[in-house]
Parts: sequence; structure tokens; C-alpha cells
Amino acid sequence: MSRTLVGTRIRERRRAKKISQVGLAKQVGISASYLNLIEHNRRGIAGKTLLTIAKALEINPRYLSEGADQGLIDRIKKAAAKTSGAETELGRTEEFIGRFPGFAALIERLFDQVEVKDQTMQALSDKMSNDPFFAEAMHLMLSSITVIRSTTDILSSSSDIQEERQQRFLSNLMTESERLSKTAEEVLQHFEPSGEALEGESDERSVETFLESKNYFLDELEGPIYPLDAASRIEELVDGMAISNVDRQRSVRILSAYAECAERLPVEAFLGQAERFGFNPLLLADHYQMPLHLIFWRLAHLPPHEDFSQFGLLECDGSAAVLYRKALNNFSLPRYSSACPLWPIYGAMSQPMHPISALIVMPSGEQFMAYAVSRFHTPGRPGVPGQLRSTMLFSGVNIPMADRLSRDMLPEITVGFQCSVCPRTACLSRRNGYLLG
Amino acid sequence: MSKSVLIIEDEPFIIEALSFLLEREGIDFDCSTDGEGCLDIIESRRPDLVILDMMLPQMNGMEVLQSLRNTEAFKALPVLMLTAKGQKKDRKAAEDAGVSLFMTKPFANDELIANVHRLLDE
Repeated sequence: MSRTLVGTRIRERRRAKKISQVGLAKQVGISASYLNLIEHNRRGIAGKTLLTIAKALEINPRYLSEGADQGLIDRIKKAAAKTSGAETELGRTEEFIGRFPGFAALIERLFDQVEVKDQTMQALSDKMSNDPFFAEAMHLMLSSITVIRSTTDILSSSSDIQEERQQRFLSNLMTESERLSKTAEEVLQHFEPSGEALEGESDERSVETFLESKNYFLDELEGPIYPLDAASRIEELVDGMAISNVDRQRSVRILSAYAECAERLPVEAFLGQAERFGFNPLLLADHYQMPLHLIFWRLAHLPPHEDFSQFGLLECDGSAAVLYRKALNNFSLPRYSSACPLWPIYGAMSQPMHPISALIVMPSGEQFMAYAVSRFHTPGRPGVPGQLRSTMLFSGVNIPMADRLSRDMLPEITVGFQCSVCPRTACLSRRNGYLLG
Repeated sequence: MSKSVLIIEDEPFIIEALSFLLEREGIDFDCSTDGEGCLDIIESRRPDLVILDMMLPQMNGMEVLQSLRNTEAFKALPVLMLTAKGQKKDRKAAEDAGVSLFMTKPFANDELIANVHRLLDE
């Protein structure tokens, strides 16, 4: 859909810059009537003309050709929909992002923070509901309060209590008051957040942020490395991330997965084979005779190149909890879970070791090639089923490396990102309502 | 013949307060501090009302209530449940099991005594 809106974006940007159609046409060296056709999406535009217009409008040509990050658009719309009482111009979200990218990024960041806080609140609520210590402490506290309230009432309302009994009631009050104070202190200590836990919650994405800053390619883990060296290099990298112990384990796990694919599929040789097989993961797995998920990881972690960085990756466990995510510009991923249940990554869990390939079509009309496979991360044993992990590799269909033949043969699946921002209201897999409907 | 009440409660200071309140009203009472032993007392003393805590050692208040309701002689025995477990699900479970009145701790003395009289008079 974004390609058909190039003209609309040009018009919006021109108006925002307060440049007349005639003025822009003159600046770019085309006729005003031709620019009018472009702006109404009746003429295609690309190449030099697009670059010239983008320069005249002082905007990145990529924004004009591709529009704003679809993930960002979805998140801004979701933020607006979840904030009751705020009347926002949802229909102009893309224009807003184009005109005020800094504020849009700020809203996304704030919304992310709110979501993390919501998750934390939910976790704390679950902890309180299921915490045996808290249940026992509450019972003790209520018992103490009962004694104090009832005994105080007796002492204040009865003037004819024997002195011996009066003394006993006072002693009871003292004992219960002390017990109440002690229990309250213990509850406070129990729920006092440790610095470690707070860091862990706020740095949920730290390893992904670190990898993103390295363009998802780590020289430190590439090349021939002895396994022991790899372990120490991973430790060094994680040390440099300044993260909590809670997140450290997760970071080591992710970097170890990276190191494994780097060791088993050396990047130089892999690139040659990848080009030979049109970057088709199924053909590469067959060629290397290696597990498909390793090929996925390798394809998603290639050296920076204008084409090679176009693969996204998502990995989850059997409960669909997200273990690792590498998003693409216009393919947003869930941070924890709750993505579209129709994504192949979830379908793959019903048939472990059998890869699924599909051309997935988003509500916006954008298409992605997706490959997914699940595997037993830990083997099963009698009475205890094995633990599944599912991995999905995905890429846009317009990248130069796409194997056109295999793309055309892929079955088409219509999906969404998340139910709350998915307009497919008749979808049978819908979990909850469409927030923007 | 005066009415009698059995207090089944494991917190001694709450027993002491309840005892004083009942005594002041001229109501006879007995006490039991665990759920298991109370059934024998009920069998032998035949109280007119049971004030029952939910969290008890050995046998909890719900089990005591169910046991009473499964015994022909005590199906109609008034039971006032007095508990710190005041969530909706606890109240519903008690009502489903046949409690006569559900009160949460901490309680107001006046309200408790008024309810005791009402249940004894029914």
C-alpha cells in the first residue's frame, strides 16, 4: 500500500513546507500538471525525479518511497487508542510521523515505557495473588488488627472491667501491636524491589539494543574461534552492556546462539553460498545439511550491507513467549507475546521439524516471505514432553536477493500484527476487539 | 434454658475478646482452638450457635462446616463464619457450603453481638 501513497506523501510534505505546486514543479524541473498527477498518485515516480523532489522538500527519499515504519504507525495508533479521552487524528498518523519524527519517536518510547510498566504491574499483581508469604502475612495482620480493634472497643466502652482482666487486655494490645509492626516490616522487606530486579525490568531489550547498535553483526564472534574463547568473548560483550544479573543470563543465551551460527556457518563462505541459492533458507539448509534455525540465525546476522540486513527474526518458546526478536523497519514484533496467531512461527509448533514457508500479507497489503520451523530444544522423556522452540525468518518481497521463483510458489496467508491494531474484524483467530474500529 | 455458643478460633486473644463480649451479654459459651476437636464438643454440648474461624489447624473452617451440614443433626445448626479471608470467592464458597452468616475480620463488636442475638433467636 505504501508505494501507492508516494504522491500523497509528496503533497503532504509540500504543504507542510508551504511550497506551492507550481513552485515545487519549477524547482524540480517538471511541469506543474505532471506534479499534480504525481501528487494524486496517477503517475508513478522513482529514480532521479524522486531524489530531486526529496531534496527540494528536505526529506529522506526513503520516507517518500516507503512511508513511515509500519510498526511505528501501529504503535502510535495503539497509543492513541489506549489513551481514552484524547481525541487524536488517527487518519493522519503517517503524516504526523513524517512531519514530526522526533515527537513520534518520543510517543513510541513513552508508550513502550507504559507497556513495560503494565507488564510489571501485572507481574506484581500475580505475585501478590499467588504469594504464600503474602497470604500468610495478610492473615496475621488482619488477626492482629481484629484483636486490637475489638479489645480497644471493649476497653473504651466498658467501665466495669475487673482490673486483672483490664491488665490482660492491655497486655494483649501490646503484644498484638508489636506483632503487627513486625509483620508489616516483613511484608515491606518482602516487596521492597531490589535494584537488580528493577534493572532487569527496565533493560528488557538491552541485548537487542546492543545488537541493533552493531547492525546485528558482531565481528568479535566471527571467524575461527575456539569455543572457550567464544565464551570469554561473550562474557566480555555482556560485561560491556552494563545490565543486571537477571538480564545477563538472557544476553549470554542470545549471544551464544549467535556464536554457534557464526562458528558453524563462517560468514565469508556462507555469503557465497547464499548468493548461489538466492538466499533461500530451505535450499541453504539442504546444501549445508544443517538445522534450519541455524540458517535462519545466520541470514539474520550478516555483515552490514544495503541488502543483507533485510532479514528479521523471531524466536519463541512453547508458550509463545518471545526469546529473541530482530524486527524489520515495517514489520513490528511483539516484545513479549500476543502477536498474530496466524504467523507461521506459531503454526510451526504443531508440526515440529517440518518447516513452513508462506507469503504473508499484512492488512496494509504489504507482503513478506516467512519461513518458520520449530524444534525440540530439550528432548522429551517418559512422562515429560520435550520443550519446543520455534523460529521465524522473514523478509520483504521486494529486496533484490529474493528468489522470485520460490516467492511465487509460496502459499499466501493473510495475517496481522496484533489483534488490537488489526482491522480484519471477521478473522476467526481474533482474541480481542480492534481498538481502532 | 439459656442459649449457648461454641467459639472455634485459634487466636487466643480473639477468643479472649469474644469471650468477654458473650459473657457481658450473659451468653454461655465454650471454646475450641482446632477444627478437628470441635466436632466432638459440638456432639457433646449441642451449642445453639457456632462462631467459626476459617483458618484453623488440622481441619479448616470450611471442612468443619461441610462436616456439620453432612450430619443430619447439625444441618440446621446456625454457623457464623468469622474470618480474615474476605474475598468474594471465600464468601461464595462458605455460602454454597451452607453458612448462616459470613463476617470478616476485623469486626465491630456491636455488629457481631447483634448478629449473635439474631442467629440465636431465629
